[in-house]
Amino acid sequence: MSERVPLVRLDGVGKNYGNIIALRDVSLEVHAGEVACVLGDNGAGKSTLIKIIAGLHRHDTGTYEVQGEPVVFESPRDALDRGIATVYQDLAVVPLMPVWRNFFLGSEKRKAWGMLDVDFMRRTTKAELLRMGIDLRDVDQPIGTLSGGERQCVAIARAVYFGAKVLILDEPTAALGVKQAGVVLRYIVQARERGLGVVFITHNPHHAYPVGDRFLILNRGRVLGYHTKDEITREDLTSLMAGGAELQQLAHELESTSRTVAEELTE
Amino acid sequence: MGQAVADPSPKVAGGDERLAQRSLARRLLSRPELGALLGAVVVFVFFSVVADAFLRAESFSTVLYAASTFGIMAVGVSLLMIGGEFDLSAGVMVTTSALVAALVSYQLTLNLWVGVAISFVVTLALGFLNGLLYVKTGLPSFIITLATFFMLAGANLGVTKAVTGNVASDSVRDMDGFSSARAVFASQLDIGGVSVNITVFWWLLLVAVATWILLRTRIGNWIFAVGGAPASARAVGVPVDRTKIGLFMGVAFCAWLSGMHLVFAFATVQSGEGVGNEFFYIICAVIGGCLLTGGYGSAVGAAIGAFIFGMTNKGIVYAEWNPDWFKFFLGAMLLLATVVNLVVRRRMEQSR
Amino acid sequence: MKRIRIMGLVALGTAASLALGACSESGGKKAEEAATAGGPPLTIAMITHSGPGDAFWDIVQKGAQAAAAKHNAKFLYSADPDGGKQAQLVQSAIDKKVDGIIVTFAKPDALKDVVGRAVAAKIPVVSINSGADVSAQYGAIAHFGQDETVAGEAAGRELAEIGAKKALCVIHEQGNVGLEDRCAGAKKTFGGEMQNLFVQGTNMPQVKSSITAKLQSDKSIDGVLTLNAAVAATAVDSVKESGSSAKVATFDLNKDLVRLMKEGSVQFAVDQQPYLQGYEAVDALWLYKTNGNTLGGGRPVLTGPAIVTKDAAAQIEAYANRGTR
Repeated sequence: MSERVPLVRLDGVGKNYGNIIALRDVSLEVHAGEVACVLGDNGAGKSTLIKIIAGLHRHDTGTYEVQGEPVVFESPRDALDRGIATVYQDLAVVPLMPVWRNFFLGSEKRKAWGMLDVDFMRRTTKAELLRMGIDLRDVDQPIGTLSGGERQCVAIARAVYFGAKVLILDEPTAALGVKQAGVVLRYIVQARERGLGVVFITHNPHHAYPVGDRFLILNRGRVLGYHTKDEITREDLTSLMAGGAELQQLAHELESTSRTVAEELTE
Repeated sequence: MGQAVADPSPKVAGGDERLAQRSLARRLLSRPELGALLGAVVVFVFFSVVADAFLRAESFSTVLYAASTFGIMAVGVSLLMIGGEFDLSAGVMVTTSALVAALVSYQLTLNLWVGVAISFVVTLALGFLNGLLYVKTGLPSFIITLATFFMLAGANLGVTKAVTGNVASDSVRDMDGFSSARAVFASQLDIGGVSVNITVFWWLLLVAVATWILLRTRIGNWIFAVGGAPASARAVGVPVDRTKIGLFMGVAFCAWLSGMHLVFAFATVQSGEGVGNEFFYIICAVIGGCLLTGGYGSAVGAAIGAFIFGMTNKGIVYAEWNPDWFKFFLGAMLLLATVVNLVVRRRMEQSR
Repeated sequence: MKRIRIMGLVALGTAASLALGACSESGGKKAEEAATAGGPPLTIAMITHSGPGDAFWDIVQKGAQAAAAKHNAKFLYSADPDGGKQAQLVQSAIDKKVDGIIVTFAKPDALKDVVGRAVAAKIPVVSINSGADVSAQYGAIAHFGQDETVAGEAAGRELAEIGAKKALCVIHEQGNVGLEDRCAGAKKTFGGEMQNLFVQGTNMPQVKSSITAKLQSDKSIDGVLTLNAAVAATAVDSVKESGSSAKVATFDLNKDLVRLMKEGSVQFAVDQQPYLQGYEAVDALWLYKTNGNTLGGGRPVLTGPAIVTKDAAAQIEAYANRGTR
């Protein structure tokens, strides 16, 4: 497996904001058809890491390779051109716009005279969503009327359709209930099956373990562990996330657990 | 978790026909202009009953003219509002545009069409400036355009006074190009024996073009997106800044068209005019279903809003009500129209 | 050319200061001459309730400036339609210790206190345009203006004379007492039926469509009385457009209106001679400061109504063209 050239490879990457060290000596490989999970609590450096991969920030130390080629991205557009697409949890969609318009936003399909090819876009949206197991009766409904999980899925399906090779998913399950998170996880598996490399950022080991092939655990900007799935069990992963934590972090865990329970009850 | 993944799709194929029907009715209801349309019908019926002269063809032509002078601006303003911004300078920009054409032509003794062209460039540049200031500073457009509103109002008066020595532009009635430009911007067309002002047709054309842009072009998609969720739009590669600047220039284009009507309908332009009209344009757009927060609305809705406004404005005159109460009736009618709009929208949301 | 003139001025100034330097600095024949020739230049402030860009107030200013230039006085103009803000402007004129204040009492109550302070500070106050009834009571030394009711009555009589039976009085600013008085006065003497119509004066297309609508809804209207010149020109368009045969008459003048009167589209104009109001006010303050004169004997001095008809229009055309009528 390691003979293949990874889609994305980070080696000893670090990032400083002034004199604050946000990330230190991080290595990560993302292969086609694999899910690399990045775990860590708030402030662990997860968002700094994805900003580097997505081209929003430049790394200060180490190397960043895409398909074996070292790169320094100037903007997210550069990353997109290399097939690296990012789906942000809160920036996925425009709620008031119809599903199909959201799906093609920024990459609209046009006919002559700049006319939108509405039929094509409606059909494609419906078909692409169906392929991933979302059956919408009406792609004209505002995307805000979909559930949170479905919205994330539309954003993911969009990235896949427009030729992403690597998907970076920023906490796609964070704000979701258990069922909705399941929808998204199922979709992550679908993307993997289609041969994409996925970077899945989360702070929930129970979400990460079933879908992940590699696990990078971050804590305060440092690597706490980097394992393939056969090296680690779900229990190990969970305890690694919680074990290194202080009492405060534990309290945070408990709090988020009780929140999940509350959400389950309201559903 | 595993259960959630295996969760079967809740949508059953057997219910498809019923769903399709419901979706058609709902699609109709979800149009932003529906509430405004019902409001317009209510106002129309109301004035048809209380004012004898209201239903006559020539009266209707006058109502349409009044509506068009608001409506032309409401087109640009509604697109801008869908794009999530306001332009408080829209009212005085009309006057600025008219003054530029009249002053330049008169002072330099040019053919009026040259003035019209110069005014076009200057007005669009003003719109560009509004957009650029907004994009570069990141301040709310409310503040930016409030500043340009004051500056334009001051410049209108200051420049006119400095150039002509008076507070109005000199009459351009007998200059070259007046009659041909008047034919384009301010003539009366005979439609089946009724003379209709050409602004009505400009208005309808603008509404059609704006609707086409909104619903059938990429730009339209971008307009909805930058108004609804600018950060998301930027994340998927929509040129947010360029779209917003373009929208401000769209308002400027409408201001230019209205300004040219002002010049060629009245020959002289009072430099203090236009103040306060910006709110009427916004009101038209809001009655027509544009959200004040952006991301939702339609050009057709704004046109209906302008029509309601024109009907109310002139209907009160036709009804010969006590003029002391004019503004009261105006407010009451607008309230009526907007409440009908609101009730319809609420119903629609419940039916969802 | 310009440089030569400046050189000339410098030379003159030098000569003057040399001459002064050589003489006694106080008393004597020179001092007496200075007093009668105007003394040190006066500073006169005018504070009105005008909105920006109002043609009427532009002419008032021109009159005041002409009088100030004649008397070598410094003329300051400021205006605000809001009563409270107008009062603040008067206060700042007092703070500047001007030699005289010209004020309009459109909102008398708002200005009562501040004018009292001016009087207490021994700054003479002259009122113009509106406020004839309170002027003397508040301590102003004179009032120059037009009694709006009297002017309206004149307009009503004239309108009846040209054969109108049912007329429209177009008010372009709702809630303006002066405009209401004009219509009320006109109604009193008109004899026939007269209705008021409100239009939004800052939006010409709306003015036009409103008047058109009114003429369409009532074909028997045969006279339109407007209260300013810009609205009059629009009313002429409306009359044409609606196919009405109504005659148009108006208050106030401008050059466009003079042309309309010459071609017969507007029958007559009731002029309150704004130029005169500005001119006389400055003149009165100068006379008071230099010779202790007052004008009017505590009663308002009327600057109008002066009825301008087609014949007179030709005569005053030149003045209107330069923006002083």
